[in-house]
Parts: sequence; structure tokens; C-alpha cells
Amino acid sequence: MRFEFLELPGETSALLRPVVPVQVEDLEDAPQLCLVDTGATANRFGMWLAEATGIDLSGAPESSLVVGGVTTTARHTRVDLTVAGVRYDAPVTFCDPWPFAFNLLGQEGFLRFFRLTVCAAESWLELEAEG
Amino acid sequence: MVQFTISGHDFELDQDRVEHAVDRLLPDPVREHYVVVSGRRYPPKQVISCATGLDRADFTTHQARRVLKRLGFQAARVTHEQDPSEASAGGPHGGRQAAALAPFVDKWVALASPTDVIVAADTPQEVLGWLARHNRRASYGMFRVPASLHEAEGLAPQ
Repeated sequence: MRFEFLELPGETSALLRPVVPVQVEDLEDAPQLCLVDTGATANRFGMWLAEATGIDLSGAPESSLVVGGVTTTARHTRVDLTVAGVRYDAPVTFCDPWPFAFNLLGQEGFLRFFRLTVCAAESWLELEAEG
Repeated sequence: MVQFTISGHDFELDQDRVEHAVDRLLPDPVREHYVVVSGRRYPPKQVISCATGLDRADFTTHQARRVLKRLGFQAARVTHEQDPSEASAGGPHGGRQAAALAPFVDKWVALASPTDVIVAADTPQEVLGWLARHNRRASYGMFRVPASLHEAEGLAPQ
């Protein structure tokens, strides 16, 4: 499935980014705009998503991370994500604070599940689920 | 202060009272007509109903628009036409999304398209509740509008 590059929400420049809409658990009404970050080791989402979807983070491992220049408390768990029509069980880190209007898709939890073709020259990316 | 009669009832309203009445009210979906109150687009009948306590079935959109325009609010009709000058600007949204989001900085919004903010609220729970109540989908995402360029882009290399 092909996705055109987009501006991040609120960005005033005309810079286009590789982003993919992701459904978290059964939150069909509000797909999440996620930046594909090949340098990220894992998926990083805002903590509000865990609260909105009723994900129980009690007992979840916790650590401190710096993401995009922000020091944040991260809780690690597994959730169902739906990307490009494929629903799968993925490791996700929920972070608080999370001031960004986008979430991050990284290696564990995204790139291990999809074969990614990026054409920045034409501003698109394609995803194919790994067999 | 504007005096008017709707459905046999006399009312007196001014801008402040209308703005106060809808202060915590999330706008219903706008189908055709809307009025801008405190930077948000509401269906005119929703505003008049909230400000007067009248049932929406007791008056028409035309009556509501007329009263609100007399009170000094901007009333308009939804258009899906695109300004050709905007379409030719850089990027797929040409900065139009940033402009559409500007009134909602630090609010949670749901977007039906890159520039169509269908609801804005203080918390994600309010936005999700509104989407569920109105059977709407934030096809273009739901997020808190960044308050700064840093929040919009992070500190990723440019």
C-alpha cells in the first residue's frame, strides 16, 4: 500500500515526511498520524492513547527516554496496531510527556513487520506486510 | 444588545452572553451553515438553542443566522472549493493546514481532511466522546495542536 509523504500537523514549512496512519487497538474513529523513523528502535506513542483505549499499564516496565529533545517517562507494553489494513500485536512504548502531534514508528513493532520502500524523490513510501 | 422574538418568546442577547453560553460547548458537525463564535464554527441553531434554551425544532437556521449576524457574529456557508493560489503553494497543504490549526493551539483536534477541523476540545477524551456521539471519524488524525515549531517537528534533523 502506498502512502504519500505529508507535512506534520502544524508544520509551517513545506517539508514533507514519511507518515503512515495507524489504528491503535479498536480506536477506529481516530487513526494516528505516525512518522516512520528508521533510526528509532521502537514505536513511541503518546500516553493519552493508552488511557483512551483502556490499555492497562500497571506493572508495565518503565524507563526514562529522550525523544525529539524531550525527556519523557516511557511505559513498555504490547498492543494491537492496524497498519495498511494489517492488524498485529506490536510492542509499543507509551510516553508522558509527549508534546508532539505525531507518534513514531520504529524497528521493533513496525519495521520488523513490514517491508518498506521509500522514494523521497517522489515523496511516497510503500508498505508490504512481511510473510 | 439585540432584542428578537422566536417561536413566540422574546429574548435579549449580546455577544458576551452568547460566547459565555457556548464557552464549554463542543460544536456539532457543520453541514451547510455555520457561525463563528470564539474562533469556533457552530451550526447556528446549536448556538441559539444553547443561548435561549429553545428546542431546535422551534426555529429555523435562517432565523438563527439572522439573529447571530445582528449580534455581530460571522455567518457563512461551508464551501469545498479550493483557492487556486493556495493549491499552487509549496507542499501538499501549502501551509493551509498550519493556518487552519492556528486558532486551536494547545487544543485537541480531530481532522476529517488536512484543513477540516471537525472538533476541538481541551482533552482527548472530550474529542473521542464527541466523535462517538456524532458517529464521525477523524480520517486525518487526532492530536494536540503543537504550541511551537519544536512540538510540531521535534528535534529531528532538517
